[in-house]
Amino acid sequence: MSTQYKINKLDTSGVGPLVDRHWRELREAKEKGMKIAWCAGPMFVYAYATPNIASHFMAGYAAYCGGRGMADEVLEAAERYGELRDTCSYHRLHTGMAAMIMNDWPVSNPQVLLPMPDLLIGGRFCTEMSHYMEAIHRRFGVKAVTIEIPSARSREDLPRLEKFLTNQVKETLIPAIEEVSGSKFDEENMRSILRPWKETCIIRNKCWEFFKKKPSPWTLWDYGVSIAPVFYAMGKPESLEYYNNLLKQLEERTEKNIPAVHPDGEKYRLYWDGWLPWSFLGKFIRMMIPYGAIPIAGRYPWEFFPHPEDINTEADDIIHEWIRLIYTSPNTLSYHDGPWGGQEHIEDLIQTYSIDGMLFFSSKTCRMWNLGQQEIIANIEKKYGIPGIVIDGDMIDSTMVSEDQIRTRIEALLETIDARRR
Amino acid sequence: MEEIMKQFVEYPSDPYTSIAKWKENTKKKVIGIFPMWIPEEIIHAAGMLPVVMWRSNEAITWGYAHVPPYNCAINKSVVDDAVKGKLKFMDGMVFLRQCLQSQEVPFIVENNRPPAFEEYLYLPPIYHGDKASKDFTRDEFKRLRKRLEEFGGEKITDEKLNESINIYNKNRSLLRKLYDLRKEKPGILRGRDVLRIVWSSMLMPKEEHNKLLESLLSELEKNGYKPAKGKKVFLSGCLCIHPQLELLDMIEDLGMLVVDDDIYVGYRYFANDAEITDDPIGALMERHFIKTPVDPARGEVEVNWGKELIGKVKKLHADGIITLLTKYCPPHLCYYPDIKVELANAGIPEVLIEVEHEVISMESIKTRLQSFREMIGGH
Ligand code: SF4
Ligand code: SF4
Repeated sequence: MSTQYKINKLDTSGVGPLVDRHWRELREAKEKGMKIAWCAGPMFVYAYATPNIASHFMAGYAAYCGGRGMADEVLEAAERYGELRDTCSYHRLHTGMAAMIMNDWPVSNPQVLLPMPDLLIGGRFCTEMSHYMEAIHRRFGVKAVTIEIPSARSREDLPRLEKFLTNQVKETLIPAIEEVSGSKFDEENMRSILRPWKETCIIRNKCWEFFKKKPSPWTLWDYGVSIAPVFYAMGKPESLEYYNNLLKQLEERTEKNIPAVHPDGEKYRLYWDGWLPWSFLGKFIRMMIPYGAIPIAGRYPWEFFPHPEDINTEADDIIHEWIRLIYTSPNTLSYHDGPWGGQEHIEDLIQTYSIDGMLFFSSKTCRMWNLGQQEIIANIEKKYGIPGIVIDGDMIDSTMVSEDQIRTRIEALLETIDARRR
Repeated sequence: MEEIMKQFVEYPSDPYTSIAKWKENTKKKVIGIFPMWIPEEIIHAAGMLPVVMWRSNEAITWGYAHVPPYNCAINKSVVDDAVKGKLKFMDGMVFLRQCLQSQEVPFIVENNRPPAFEEYLYLPPIYHGDKASKDFTRDEFKRLRKRLEEFGGEKITDEKLNESINIYNKNRSLLRKLYDLRKEKPGILRGRDVLRIVWSSMLMPKEEHNKLLESLLSELEKNGYKPAKGKKVFLSGCLCIHPQLELLDMIEDLGMLVVDDDIYVGYRYFANDAEITDDPIGALMERHFIKTPVDPARGEVEVNWGKELIGKVKKLHADGIITLLTKYCPPHLCYYPDIKVELANAGIPEVLIEVEHEVISMESIKTRLQSFREMIGGH
């Protein structure tokens, strides 16, 4: 290893204050008498658009807690409370947090304390989310609405799945939000959030385009931590400001030829599949950088509405329009998230972003992506000669992450890439 | 009696050979269905044999090139069997979306050994009893019916469907009778036999199974019953797979008698009938939404498995509950902590045993069961 590679992270420090403010405001909202919804998945937008109810984003909270080094403490509380370790760590994190609040257990960083919810909204491609909402409901008596959003096996299935989801939202979810918040869901309010949000996401996509550059001016990790403003400040000016700033930095870097990896750019461009390991972002990148390897593109970050151009913010039925984005819009998310469309999507990403190798992150407690991963690797390897490996771990639970095992696998992947280059 | 049991045991002893042999003899099609909630009656009405996919007894080998080890036993087993070509006697397979893991199994199967016919039902695992879920489920069942008509080349009329429902209802009521008998006369059959009787119903034609069950029940009624001694226990959980026979033996050998259960290869499988109406698909849909026994993979937010178990144990005067948790099964994993608390609050002794695909450490299970036995009134 002759070249001494070093990471040159983009300035994403704008995220921290935004995130902190979001959680602070959430706590204040409760104090002011507002209702609180803990939301998972894209259905949060309906609560977000309803007055008198503030939304907490469950996956975002995992990233927040992980980022503040508090995940282990909260997970430990969950175990003390009776949770089994094979359940998903996002589930354990939330029951752990609820147990801490309800039992007044000490917490070393009160910044991560959440207000207890009045409503739980579960809705993802994953069914475990419904199970864990149901569990929180049983324990703490919080009303839970579990919405099923099946990921599609074929494009043919999309229209009927879309109809199913639309019916669930209109029949069950919106009435529940209205009942808990005591306010009417406001379609015009939703449009007024989506208009600036769309503008923001278009800028964010311009940023994403920079991954095509060789060398790349940034890494998927920079992009990953920048997911927060899309949620926490959805439709707010500060979100747009954040991405404009990001775009400016990327343009400047490109102009001055400053790569994300010093001294002269990345040697290996890696595709990253699955969740981002929120508690271990630093740990993971430090295992790649010495070799000049960086993650460039991934499937998960695309989940957060990468195709704002597909939404018509002026649609008469704005409730349905958001759902259309998941199903029958041209870039159907539900199809690309499952393994069937996922493979198609990954093939596209590895070609567009000149990928050298693939890292498939398989969470030991979240089986959302991991069942199809070995298949996809084998298929892509056969078709394109691009090697891939699976690394097991967890997004936030440190007891499930073995650094040595991961390092060895990453090294093996890079050696395979080298061998194929020769 | 022995002769009848021999016939029940034939299919579970080697499902691969027995089903292939049946197919060879009848020239009919076999459709493997993923546990737990595919409406078998529709497949039966298409003139095909639905068989519930099972956990094999072989160690997983090739399967690990496709499924990570931290997945539940039925997924690992079905994938392993499929990629090895052990399921090639199945003309078709039907999968469902009942949990996070089962929803991706068909992708692996299709990718390696695609069957001639395949269908995937997006059934809602958790629902609110809402119209949306019911309408959607009904449409899914209708779609399965249409696809099977195309595959089999024959129309599945409402009459045929009702005939099938009738045969299945009969099977279920006979199995319930057997269970009632066991409640009344604990130990009348060994646990391993009861399990294999239910399991064989999942594998062999229901018509034959009905006949066997009728003979068995009349034999059991004729035979004298020598009351068996032992503490009465209820088996709970074990979603999608059958527990190891040795585990059931061990429970009995330690002086406990299983008086009832809600395991999948048990009461859960035959608990609910579908009504005979002029809308059989509607009847199957309604059956899907029945709330008892409480089912975490087909659940309703407002029901409570723990409370249901308490009710059952009290009614049976059982001494405790043995929970069998299929390892890495999120629907059960997410529910279990609450059940444990509910049971503890009600003063009902309970022990948790994890059931894996292959080797479960029998020694450590024995230790757990021994101390449980002591807890409920030891030797
Ligand atoms: S299992 Fe995975 S996708 Fe599902 S709720 Fe947990 S972390 Fe999210
Ligand atoms: S055992 Fe549990 S996790 Fe596995 S398929 Fe059945 S319900 Fe799903």
